[in-house]
Amino acid sequence: MSRIGVFVCHCGENISRTVDVERVAAEVGKLPGVALATDYKYMCSDPGQGLLKKAIAEQRLSHVVVAACSPRMHERTFRKAVESAGINPFLCEMANIREHCSWVHDNREEATEKAIEIVGMMVERVKRNRALPAITVPVTKRSLIIGGGIAGIQAALDIADAGHEVVLVEREPSIGGHMAQLSETFPTLDCSQCIMTPRMVDVANHPRITLHSYSEVEHVEGYIGNFQVTIRKKARSVDEKKCTGCGVCIEKCPIRKIPNKFDCNLGMRPAIYIPFPQAVPNTPVIDRESCAMFKSGKCGLCKKVCGPGAVDYEQEDRLIVEPVGAIVVATGFDLYDITEKPKGSQIKGYGEFGHGRIPDVIDGMTFERLASASGPTGGRILRPSDGREPKQIVFIQCVGSRAREKGISYCSKVCCMYTAKQTMLYHHKVHDGQAYVFFMDARTPGKSYDEFWRRSIEEEEAVYIRGMVSRLYQKGDKIVVMGSDIAVGVQVEIEADMVVLATAVQPRSGADILAQKLGISYDKYHFYSEAHAKLRPVECATAGIYLAGACQGPKDIPDTVSQASAAAAKVMTLFAREKLEREPIVARVREAGCVGCFYCRKVCAYGAIEEKEIRDRQGNLIKVVAYVNPGVCGGCGTCQATCPSKSVELDGYTDEQIVAMIEAL
Amino acid sequence: MDKTLNYAYYPGCSLHASAGEYDLSTRELFNLLGVGLTEVPDWFCCGATPAHNVDELLSLSLCAKNLELAEQVDGDVAVACAACFSRLKFTQHTLLEDETKRRQVEKAIDAPARLDGKVKHLLEILARDIGLERLASAVSKPLSGVKVACYYGCLLTRPPDVPNLDCVEAPTIMERVVEAAGAETVPWSHRMECCGANFTLSRPGVVIQLSNAILDSAKSSGADCVVVACPLCHGNLDMRQKEIEGVYNAEYGLPVFYITQLLAVACGAGAEKSGLGALMVDPFPLLKVKNIL
Ligand SMILES: Cc1cc2nc3c(=O)[nH]c(=O)nc-3n(C[C@H](O)[C@H](O)[C@H](O)COP(=O)(O)OP(=O)(O)OC[C@H]3O[C@@H](n4cnc5c(N)ncnc54)[C@H](O)[C@@H]3O)c2cc1C
Ligand code: SF4
Ligand code: SF4
Repeated sequence: MSRIGVFVCHCGENISRTVDVERVAAEVGKLPGVALATDYKYMCSDPGQGLLKKAIAEQRLSHVVVAACSPRMHERTFRKAVESAGINPFLCEMANIREHCSWVHDNREEATEKAIEIVGMMVERVKRNRALPAITVPVTKRSLIIGGGIAGIQAALDIADAGHEVVLVEREPSIGGHMAQLSETFPTLDCSQCIMTPRMVDVANHPRITLHSYSEVEHVEGYIGNFQVTIRKKARSVDEKKCTGCGVCIEKCPIRKIPNKFDCNLGMRPAIYIPFPQAVPNTPVIDRESCAMFKSGKCGLCKKVCGPGAVDYEQEDRLIVEPVGAIVVATGFDLYDITEKPKGSQIKGYGEFGHGRIPDVIDGMTFERLASASGPTGGRILRPSDGREPKQIVFIQCVGSRAREKGISYCSKVCCMYTAKQTMLYHHKVHDGQAYVFFMDARTPGKSYDEFWRRSIEEEEAVYIRGMVSRLYQKGDKIVVMGSDIAVGVQVEIEADMVVLATAVQPRSGADILAQKLGISYDKYHFYSEAHAKLRPVECATAGIYLAGACQGPKDIPDTVSQASAAAAKVMTLFAREKLEREPIVARVREAGCVGCFYCRKVCAYGAIEEKEIRDRQGNLIKVVAYVNPGVCGGCGTCQATCPSKSVELDGYTDEQIVAMIEAL
Repeated sequence: MDKTLNYAYYPGCSLHASAGEYDLSTRELFNLLGVGLTEVPDWFCCGATPAHNVDELLSLSLCAKNLELAEQVDGDVAVACAACFSRLKFTQHTLLEDETKRRQVEKAIDAPARLDGKVKHLLEILARDIGLERLASAVSKPLSGVKVACYYGCLLTRPPDVPNLDCVEAPTIMERVVEAAGAETVPWSHRMECCGANFTLSRPGVVIQLSNAILDSAKSSGADCVVVACPLCHGNLDMRQKEIEGVYNAEYGLPVFYITQLLAVACGAGAEKSGLGALMVDPFPLLKVKNIL
């Protein structure tokens, strides 16, 4: 016979204002199996929990119901409390009489009746709860980091420095991401390469970091602490182990006019190349689409000149499997390419800006390459069309961002600041030039950010015009910028030599596909979703997967690095334990009833259903039944609803319990 | 006659008045292409710009009623005038989005609003329904050597989500149709700028300034002529061209054709049936030089 203790909470006045808590306790006390029913002002407080523990000891309680707020709020609190008093935590349940009752009703009489029924139901349920043993799973103390931009690099270094192994997967031939492309960085104007490349080298040299560049995640299996990740190492056509990085192949390659993506197509590269001189790893890659050897079988020069014999035209993609315990996703962003037909039906495009048709209308990243000392112009700001220095330059902010009617409603967060930076860089390099900026607002919330922005106006003479631009068109060798100045209320037209568009920050192409492989959620723009906007900003809702950098939302470098270090700290917290305890509310199969139809496997979103062979004593196979891997089961109960022979049940939510709860009404 | 293709033709008031040549050439072109065009019986004014500025419900109801009348004719609604097209499309869009307005309008016209019936501009009928290939094969006098500046004006593609004719800010549909007739199209900057539209009566100064910018851009891009698909644009660019030349001391001499006029000529309709005589800027010298007429 169970001895159930019921504790009814006032929640200050949150519950007791509408519900007669004393009556609830009195009525529930009469139910069969209830040994004690009482009420208290704040059950979650220290004295409240003390009361609970004392009652368990004194009244020899076997089960507990706390009638209070939502279990989402305090289930953990009370389960811990009963555990410390010696009861299995899963013999404690909460009856929600706040969100489900006092907060949503005002008739005291009726609300009290309802509260009695809610508590009565939970009494019937808890009676039928099983004491559940904690499920523990081992933790593989290695982590996978997807994306080698500054976010991935920072997380990798932090975790590796803490003593754990890291597998870093980068899609491109080199790590570095966008930060490697930047010229100087706000708000201090330090050279991006100078602060970035040492970290890239640290990654390459770290004994605990395995770098798979030019690789992609193919497939992910498993769960927190125990992921199996299949990685596709794309054929580089150069053996990473043999190559010494001497660069002779690059010099000798006869195909030399391939636009270099790293330089935003301003410069050219050969068919065998490294994207930029400081690339990590410093191993060339053959772009098979342009290589003469692959196109016509005639050439083979690089192979001939390579001393160590590293060039290998026969190399194929390789699949490797890496076991890891945690995953950090750091795939970063792309700039909204307004020349292409925009992706996503809600995104409308910007035909009116002529980007792609007018050569001197460029985007912000292209400007970074022009301004970069290691860029295609050696740091001189020159027009792509004729190589002349632009004397009038117009920057347009919020291109694509904050334009609901054009399909993107969010703010890209970094462009106000980088535009201010770019006006300064321009002024430093073109002394007799004039920069204009069309902007909606200047968003500069960050340490020393507003001061930086003011400097671009007050000291570097940028002219800021509040208003948007409706159209750009080529007139002779000028670009006519048609805009409005809403502060003065007039239309303005500027004949510019160059126009720089601060196009919106978007998630990487393919971000959705990666999310589906990982089983993590994303928003309508494909930015990855954090588990809680305020309290769990670096974790995914899927356990064991963390987020860092611009893949979660537009971010500048300081924010990216902070988030990456936070994600690393989360991984280290996970790795601080040998074994993981997880909630044991999982499904179990009654093997006697299971007919092996495996409908449950079809519906299980977690992939938790496995096959189990049932044999007799002689070892003859009798049947194959379903088995729920408790480490993987998410406790959703879908299998229970699906099973035609009613042979799989979720602990705490069995059919028997649910029927008993309904009968209690 | 193509039995499968027939349209409920909504000419709109301008085509029965100042833009008679647009109407004439449209009918002739469809005749030559063998596509049916049946005028909507008892159609009336869509309300154009004044109605929706004064009373939205009136504007919506006028259009909804016309759409209802069009149901008497088999086939999608074919519209020539960019303003009528815009109003009819806007009405469908608004009534689809706004349940309350739909109910008010249905009460006013005493009939269910026709929200799903397709309203098409002539350009999309030519480019998509009839198709560029069929159009090209009907051409007997290719417009070879004629350099055309295709002018869209403000209403044909805008605002986003409403007309859905083509890409909102960088459309190509008119160019494709004109090229199917053998002409050459020029890239130019003012394809989508406003000509001043109906300010032509109240603020002619504004119209002269805006239309001048358009003509200037067309001329400097090397075009021989301008093609339009809207009676108001036509009025401003053709009728006022001489005046504009006077004000700006410029010489444009750019004939301004309705799209159907140029196509009708290409399909061999001849000058009269294409309504060329109604144009203010004389198109004959150009067509003669290019050996088309
Ligand atoms: C024009 C411009 C100027 C800027 N200037 C500044 C500045 O001055 N100061 C500042 O603080 N911030 C600046 N920023 C912002 C800065 O670029 C970002 O904060 C930073 O790059 C974000 O780093 P990240 O690692 O999250 O993303 P990224 O730099 O985009 O790196 C992501 C990496 O992941 C890789 N990747 C993507 N998908 C996959 C995949 N599926 N598998 C494997 N790898 C993948 C990519 O190849 C890339 O290497 C600027 C941004 C722009 C656009
Ligand atoms: S592939 Fe060979 S030639 Fe090319 S960099 Fe490596 S070692 Fe040098
Ligand atoms: S950061 Fe500035 S420029 Fe960029 S979208 Fe936000 S407000 Fe616009």
